[in-house]
Formats: sequence, structure tokens, C-alpha cells
Amino acid sequence: MNVAAESSKWRTARVKERKVSLGLLLRLGIGLLVLAFFAYRFYGVLARQAYGAETWARLAISGLIIGSVYAVIALGYTLVYGILFMINFAHGEVMMIGAFAGYFVLEAFAASGFSARQPVLAILITFLAGMTVSMLVGISLERIAYRPLRGAPRLVPLISAIGASIFLQNAAQLMFGSMRRTYSNPPALERNVGWVLDVAGKPVSITYTGVLTFAFSVVLMIGLYLLVQRTRLGRAMRAVAENKEAAALMGVDVDRVIANTFAISGVLAGAAGVMWGLHNGIIYHYVGFIPGLKAFTAAVLGGIGNIPGAMLGGIVLGIAESLAPAVLDIPFQLKDVLAFAVLVLVLIFRPTGILGEVLAEEKV
Amino acid sequence: MKRRMLLFGTLLVIAGLLLSSCAPAATPAPTAAPATEAAPTATPAPAQEEPTATPAQPAAQVTDEWGVAIIPAGKTIKIGLAGPLTGDYANFGIDISRGAELALEEHPEIKGFKVEFVTQDTQGSPEQGAAVANKFASDPQMVGIVGHIFSGETEASIPIYEKAGIVMVSPSATNPTLTELGSKVFNRVAFTDKMQGEFAAKYIYEKLGVRKVVTMHDGGAYGQGLANVMAEAFKALGGEVLGTQAITPGETDYSAPLAAVAALGPELIYFGGYDTDAAVLVSQMEPAGLKGVIFFGCDGTYGENYLKLAGKAAEGTYSTYVPIPESEAFEKFRARYKERYGDEQGKLSPFSPHGHDAMAIILAALEKVAVVQADGSLAIPRKALADAVRATKDFPGLTGTITCSEVGECAAASIQFMVVKDGKWVVAE
Repeated sequence: MNVAAESSKWRTARVKERKVSLGLLLRLGIGLLVLAFFAYRFYGVLARQAYGAETWARLAISGLIIGSVYAVIALGYTLVYGILFMINFAHGEVMMIGAFAGYFVLEAFAASGFSARQPVLAILITFLAGMTVSMLVGISLERIAYRPLRGAPRLVPLISAIGASIFLQNAAQLMFGSMRRTYSNPPALERNVGWVLDVAGKPVSITYTGVLTFAFSVVLMIGLYLLVQRTRLGRAMRAVAENKEAAALMGVDVDRVIANTFAISGVLAGAAGVMWGLHNGIIYHYVGFIPGLKAFTAAVLGGIGNIPGAMLGGIVLGIAESLAPAVLDIPFQLKDVLAFAVLVLVLIFRPTGILGEVLAEEKV
Repeated sequence: MKRRMLLFGTLLVIAGLLLSSCAPAATPAPTAAPATEAAPTATPAPAQEEPTATPAQPAAQVTDEWGVAIIPAGKTIKIGLAGPLTGDYANFGIDISRGAELALEEHPEIKGFKVEFVTQDTQGSPEQGAAVANKFASDPQMVGIVGHIFSGETEASIPIYEKAGIVMVSPSATNPTLTELGSKVFNRVAFTDKMQGEFAAKYIYEKLGVRKVVTMHDGGAYGQGLANVMAEAFKALGGEVLGTQAITPGETDYSAPLAAVAALGPELIYFGGYDTDAAVLVSQMEPAGLKGVIFFGCDGTYGENYLKLAGKAAEGTYSTYVPIPESEAFEKFRARYKERYGDEQGKLSPFSPHGHDAMAIILAALEKVAVVQADGSLAIPRKALADAVRATKDFPGLTGTITCSEVGECAAASIQFMVVKDGKWVVAE
């Protein structure tokens, strides 16, 4: 090791250090500017007293419900990423197929009067149908579109996923037509009916479907967390996520674990699809695309590959979408822009997402 | 263009004959018809090719500022329809094309030439609309367009047809600005949003006694234009417009924007947009804190589709509708519609009679201007056709007696307000 090399190495290190600090300053500057702007707009809204407490409550409720659906979909993205390091862009479409499966089952129940007689059972079977169909779609997706490309460069499965997404959308359009369909909820779970709270002397309603959506999302998240942390399958999944080769050497069947992961993410997507249908009522072949994109954003926001992160990201994004236009006093048509602005803001300060850990070299 | 090509083709044939030079000089010139078929349509004729004193008989005696469409014997005259035939708004396009089809059945031939009806899907988007317009404009047999169906796509396509000299009669593009562009080719049999917005404002202010409204729209040319016209007119009457809220069309959850609207405390929401979005809005109004607030839609929200999607929530909501006066012809039209398509007329959209009239006006004008030529082909002078459509006077249509103004407003009908009672649209008092 000669002196010249030594000194040059030392110099590059110095330069690198300075670059990092400059970049950080720039990021901080931009972030603070945007935050200051947000604060200024928000102050304006508050000063005008444009919205009463009841409006904020309504917006927050709406955000929590949609956020919990985003969270459930985001779990599917995060699970698959955690194991395969690929973004399953067809995940939103898996949710859409689940929503359709639930729709047809519920239609049949409504026509036969079964859903009026046995609402709880009818809803349960609807969820089961949606989850089962989505699970099968998830497994077939992996088998057909991703497994043959397992060893390929990282961009290849991504393109395949986008292709699968478009394929599923068009297949649904051909099979079910492009008209919109309305979920026929059981009378006991009527849409837009629910408990009425009193906030600042004004009624704020909490719909039954909204509560069901939120509660079932929480149940699913807890269930998934326990499954990953406490079961053999969960342990195998974590092992494969950590290191495929080593896991295989230890006797873990990697292919089966990956197929199981897709099955679980399909189940979650199917549940999200049925919840979407029950709560919002209207579904069509394109219904999965935007929520899928939003959920992917939520997964990145929380830290991709991190299960609690996906839940947190979903809720944060839902709330941001509902509240931000009101906070900043701009039309609700721009809510998507704001959702992505929140993403950018978070990534400026934490490039790995809210709960994401710094990824090891070989994962990036 | 066509004429030049024809000439060029004839000249080529003659040149070929002269070169072969085995025939005597007194060979009669070949007729133009086979020459046309021989002339490849893709080869542009050289611009400087002027009609010279060739022994060929002039191919077209008809001349026209915008050019003449020549339909060779045995070929069809084409009339196009462009609009949403798939996607969210397919019901409008399908319904209108059925109306136009029925009009064509009443009048299938012009001077012995069959008329072919060509439909193209735009999904209602301006980008697709322009693409389809370019496709139609490049077809030499295309002489008229029933369309486009939505205002945004119509706006995008007018300049294209203007350039090609193809006359348009839109059954349903209602944005007021469309006839203010000074277009020679664009006409419509739909009443404009300006009329609709002003009528609606008056009705809401006087009949419903409402003083505070919020307007909502989907950000499209039609919805936003309508909401703005209505807001202006309502203010002029002395009412109060508390605010306006734009939504993203095609979503299934509008609870957040509705909560923001509820904070303004309106007595009525006026919505400019289409039925699918309106159905989502009305079904989410109550939990958003808008109980007892009237929802007032427009002609885009009228129809069976809205009732089906919104279910119980549709009760007591308003829309506007262009009533079709009862007549023997309309009676027959309804019966034929049912027999031909299996649906009740008016189930998909209110516009099938307008589609019928748009087609009928074009056919009547064609009948006036088309000329059969000596060689058996049919000449359709394009500008004369557009002028004939624009000069339509006292035409007996299904929507009423149609007379076009000098800017191309041909709507015969007045409008009516409808309200949902017991799951059915009925005329509002």
C-alpha cells in the first residue's frame, strides 16, 4: 500500500462525506419548506373555521376505513416482496377477482332469500368464496407468471407482473362485461346505515359496513402477524426471506414456501375485495387498479417487506387522502397527488419507509 | 383529391394505350370507373396535375369548395358514429347507435346507393375521440358523422372533420361552447348545457325555493361546464353558491369530498356529470352528514342505470330529461326498438330518438345534394352537404320539428325535470 493511494482513498472518503451532508441539507430544506407550506395552508383553514369538529371526525372515519383496506392489500405486496424481492403488480387485480367472486355468491344468496334469513352465515360464506378464489388466482399467478422467471434479472418478473395485471383486467372485462355492478348486501348489513355519534352537536354516522371492514382488517393483520411469528410455515417464510440457499440447505422446501406466500397474499386480497364491495357497493373490472397502486404506495411508505409497516402505511395513507385536501383547502380531485406527496415527504426523511430497516446489500 | 386521382388514373391508362400504339387513334376513351379501381388509393396524385385536354370525359361534373366524395357504382356511402361503446359510459353509445340504425332502416338507400353505418368506440375520451376522427376522415367514402357523443371528444374531433369537410350532427354533445367555435361542419340536435343550466337554476330557485347550493362536478368538459353555467345563473337570480367540489370520476368512495360539502351546509347539491358517479354520490350522502339535502343531477344522470346502481338512495333525487313529444312516429319507433333489441326504449339512455334524428337529418341532406353521374358513380359535394344540413328547416323528427340555427343548434325539444318516486323517474311538479 503506497502513500499516494492511501491519500487518494482518504480524499474520496472526505468528498463522499461532504456530498452526503449536502444531500441531507438539501433534503431537509425541501422537506421543511413543504411542511411550512402545509402548516401555512392548514392555519388558514383553521382560522377561517371552514370545517367544524364533525367534519374532521367524518373525514377521519372515512380515512380510517379506506386506510384499513389499503393496509390489508399492502400486506400482500409486502409479504411477496419480503420473500422474492419482487413487486407483484397484479395484486390489485387479484383483489378485483375476489370482489367479483363475493359478488356472485351474494347475488345468489340475495335471490334465494338466504342472506335475509342467515345474514352472518351468508357474509361468512361470501368472504370465504372471495378469499378462496383470490387464493387460487394468487397461486396460479405465481405458477404461470413468476416461477418460470425465478432466476431472471429483477426487472423481468416486474414486466411479467404488469402484463398479468393487464391480462386479468381484460379477462374480467370479457367475462363479466364492463358495466358496474352493485353488491346486494343482506338487509342486516345495509350500506350507509349505522350508529350515529354526536360530535359538536352534529350527527356523525359510523356505518356497519365500515366497522366490519375496519374490525376484519385488524383481525386479518393480527392473524397474519401471528402466522409469521408463531407457526412452522411462518418460520420457514422468515428463513426463506433471510436467505434462500441456506433455508434450502436446512431442509426448507423453498418452492412450497413461495407458493404458500402467494396463497396467503391472495387470501388477504380476496378479503379486501369483498370488504370493498360490501362497504362501497360498486365494483367493476377496473376496481382493483387504483387501490392496488395506493396499497403499494402504502407498503413503501411503511417500509416494504415489513408487516407492521404495511399496516401503518395503509392507515397513514388513508388518513392523508381523506384529510389532506381539507387541511390544505384544495379540491378533493387532487387527493391522489397529496397521497403521493406524503409518500415523497416521508421518503425524503426516511428512504426506507417509516418502519423499514436499512436493507442489506444483496437485497437492494 | 379523389377527382385528381381519377384524372391521374385515366391519364395513366391513356398514356399506356398510346404507348402500346397498336390501336387506331379513334379509340374511345375508357370509362373512368375501372380506372378508379385500378388507381391505387395510396398514391398521391401530383399536385400540378391539371386537367388537360385529354379525350377522357371529365370524371366529375360536380364541383365543390371542399371537394367531392365519389362513390363508385356498387360501393356504399358511409356514415360514421363515434362514442363510448365499451367502458363505463357504454350505455349512451349503444343506445344512440341503435336509434341511428333504426333511422337508417327507414331510409336505407340514397339514389340507389346503399348507406353503410360504421360505428367506432371512443370510450368517451377526447384522446380516443380524436383518433377515431382521424380514422374516419381518412376514409374517402365517409360523408357524415352521427356524433360525437360526449362533449369532450366532440371538441377534440371538430377540427379534424372541419379539415376533411365531413358534416357532423351530434345527438348528445351539449357543451355550450361547441357551436361558438365558428365550425361549418358541426351541428347538434341536443339542447345545450347553457339552456339546461339556466333552466335548472330557475327551477331550483323558484320551484324548490332553495337559496343555498353547492355544485359538484367530475372535472370533465360536460360536467364542469354545466356546473359553472348553473352556478352563474343561480347567483344571477339571487341565490347563494356556497362552493364547488370536483371529484375524480370512476371511483367508488366519495365519502371524504361529501363530508367537506356537508360542512358548507347546503340545501341542495347540483351535480354535473354521469350516472355511475352520481349513483355513488347519492348512496354515500346520508352518512356523510347530508341527510335531507336534495341531490339535483342533469341529463347525464337520467336513466335506468342510475336507478339500478343507486337503489333506495335514488329516492327524491332530480335529473333533467328531454321529453320526446308523443307522436305516431315515436310510437312506431318504440315498438321497433323493442322488437329489434329486446330492451325498452329509454332504458339505456334518453338519447336514442336524438340518434335517430341526427341520422335522419344527414340522410335527408344527402338526398338533396347527391348526384348520380354519367359513369354510374355517385358524387357527394361535401360543402353543399354541410350547408344542406345547416339549412334544415321544419324537419319532422322524433324529438320535434327541427330547424337549425346559423351556428348549428338544431334542438327542437324543451327540457323537463324528473324526480325519483318509488324507484321510478316521474315528471317533477
